Amino acid sequence: MTADTPLLEVENLSVAYGDRTVLHDITLSLRPDEVLGIVGETGAGKSVLARAMLDLLPGGGRVTGGRIRVGGRDLATLPEPERRALRGGTVALIGTDAKSLLDPVRTVGAQVADVLRAHRRLGAAEAKAQAIELFAKVGIVDPEKRAEASPHQLSGGMAQRVVIAMALIAEPSVILADDATLGLDATIQVQVLDLLVARCRELGMGAVIITHDLGIVARYCDRVEIMRDGRIVEEAPTARFLSAPATPYGAELLGAARARPAPMARAAAKGATERPLVEVVNLVKHFTTGSGHVVRAVDDVSFAIPAGETLALVGESGSGKTTVGQCLARLLDSDGGAVLFRDRDMLGLPEKAFRPLRRDIQMVFQEPYVALNPRWTVERLVGEPLGLDPEMAGAEARRARVREMLELTRLPARLAEAYPHELTAGEQKRVGMARALATRPAFVVFDEPTTALDIRVRAQIIDLVRELQREMRLSTLFITHDLNSVRSLAHSVAVMRHGRIVEMGETERIFAAPSHDYTRMLLGAELPIERYTAA
Amino acid sequence: MMKTLADFPAFVLRRPAALLGLALLLVQAAAILFAPLLATHSPIEANPLASLQPPSAEHWLGTDVSGMDIYSRIIFATRINLLISVIAVAVAFVIGVPVGLVVGYRRGWASTLVMRIFDFIQSFPVFVLGMALVSVMGQEIWNVAIVLAILFTPIFARLVRAEALSLRDRPFIAAARCSGATDAAIMFRHILPNALGSSIVQVSISIGMAILLTAGLSFIGAGVRMPIPEWGLMVSTGSQQMILGIWWVALFPGLAIVFSVLSFALMADAARDYLDPRGERSR
Repeated sequence: MTADTPLLEVENLSVAYGDRTVLHDITLSLRPDEVLGIVGETGAGKSVLARAMLDLLPGGGRVTGGRIRVGGRDLATLPEPERRALRGGTVALIGTDAKSLLDPVRTVGAQVADVLRAHRRLGAAEAKAQAIELFAKVGIVDPEKRAEASPHQLSGGMAQRVVIAMALIAEPSVILADDATLGLDATIQVQVLDLLVARCRELGMGAVIITHDLGIVARYCDRVEIMRDGRIVEEAPTARFLSAPATPYGAELLGAARARPAPMARAAAKGATERPLVEVVNLVKHFTTGSGHVVRAVDDVSFAIPAGETLALVGESGSGKTTVGQCLARLLDSDGGAVLFRDRDMLGLPEKAFRPLRRDIQMVFQEPYVALNPRWTVERLVGEPLGLDPEMAGAEARRARVREMLELTRLPARLAEAYPHELTAGEQKRVGMARALATRPAFVVFDEPTTALDIRVRAQIIDLVRELQREMRLSTLFITHDLNSVRSLAHSVAVMRHGRIVEMGETERIFAAPSHDYTRMLLGAELPIERYTAA
Repeated sequence: MMKTLADFPAFVLRRPAALLGLALLLVQAAAILFAPLLATHSPIEANPLASLQPPSAEHWLGTDVSGMDIYSRIIFATRINLLISVIAVAVAFVIGVPVGLVVGYRRGWASTLVMRIFDFIQSFPVFVLGMALVSVMGQEIWNVAIVLAILFTPIFARLVRAEALSLRDRPFIAAARCSGATDAAIMFRHILPNALGSSIVQVSISIGMAILLTAGLSFIGAGVRMPIPEWGLMVSTGSQQMILGIWWVALFPGLAIVFSVLSFALMADAARDYLDPRGERSR
């Protein structure tokens, strides 16, 4: 094998499930010391491609044409023992959700050592020693102790590092990272990917990063393949793709990934006397864990939202931002402070007195599917909040309003009879929004409205929120860790950490000149594509 | 997941085991509806002259010690046995499901108390409890049904409570609360429809159990009394002759129990597969 031989070659590969072809005629190659990005939306066939390269097609898929060569050898002609040695040995996969990839009842050190022993003849003690050595190299602090931990004792980022160590330990020549950082906080994501790419460069390995995040591609990949509906539609060096995509689809993805220019002009010229619609004063919420330990989830938080404006509450998981939203929607009882809505404290109100206020205070939930009753139709789901509106007593009035809301959220009317599981993620999100907006509220809490959505769907949802805000003059609290959408939506930003607001100010000011170290760290972990694209 | 009850017959027709269960159910339905036409003799009239006759053209399945026709008694007993079972399970379902729903949705001392009462009921050996209750209330058909209903109520309550406990913390319940749903609306419109699946399966299982328990209670003398035709009682009276080689008195009502329980068990299986959204694929 010379230095120029590709590590991995895929030639005219087609894969089918039953009669359905899911990969059409895929051709790509990976040279040593190269990081290749594969980008596509849900259903593009990215994961099937990754599994095919490992010769591990799930659930009855079969290769119907073409070949895969690893280090110049055709996978299809290799006998089974060699193929087995190849998986994890020559080609290693890092999947999403590290915790589910680890055996919950064994220590992580032993699991990583197992991989090594499966590929080399080694004693248990020696394998373990090498595992611990590698743990240190992938940035696990105190590796001897961590090696004795079970997966549930590790944080998500730490578990992902263990999985990376597991992938690296047999010194493979190709790493496949399939959405390896999905669901991790931005700062952790950057650390994990920095580390992975650095190790690859150091060892001269090739890496394939499969993602739907063009920011990751822009920062880490040398070359990018754009996939759509099981085909590769565009292939280019990353820099060239970012400055001048060759296909309309590529251009569309790139456009969708960009932040929307300048948040809309201030809703109202700021009259100094106008009282804010919502004012949170010294809000406190404690949780007591099973062992009696008190967690200060929300610790003395204050902010105000004027009518027609959006405040973004940003922070990493565990910062308490979602808890603030739940306290505002009175899904959780607060332990202290006040929430003034139209200058009236609503935390002290009994549930009965608060119920009429729900008409004006609504919430859009984070995960669209689980926030919809699986046995209700869209019509019934969107109509439910109308019970709060005394003018919506008649069935006819309700039906009309539901139609109106579907139209407003760009949902086709025929979906009124559909059940949640028949909708796409984007449609489910829209139904959640239609529900929240049905009573024409004055204030809406959006909890992570753009998380886990495909690039284009995310852009559509952001555009929709912007439009609705303009039309309905909504005040919103926008809870997110997606800084890109904050730029596009929020008038002001509050940065939360460990239950406290560490910095608050106008969006432009925060992004241009953050004053707190933590804010700078968050902004540093963002992977905006603007940095790399020609303006 | 969103299957309706209307699709259930088609689902049954595609599965041989379910089809067998359905066929056996139909046989029992026929026995209940047309008992007087199907029976060849009176089920309760003793005939000392025809005592303990083996199966013949006159008495298809033979006669028992009092000379009563076993075939006719089995046919009429279907009415008694299924009546007791269905009433017992219906009462248990109607009481157990809402109790389980409320107890699962609202935690508190009252819920704990209800659950401890259920623990108390369920910790008794079934037959000891049955004998105690029947001996207090008297050996009537209705009392047997009441005993079974008391025994089954905790089962349904527990099933629904377990579902309600996990459903109450799901985001769609929080979303419903934001939409102004009251506690009653959350319990009955949101949680109940999502919590019923396992209880619906349990209905079939419980009817099968009820038939066995009724028979068991009669067998040990705590159920219905002669001359009422009841399968367990028939097995009980016949068991004394079994060792003398007079096998037909106990065997045929025994088989009736087996087929009846089997039919409900098969339907329970079918219902479970039908309600499980993954059922079709994992088969």
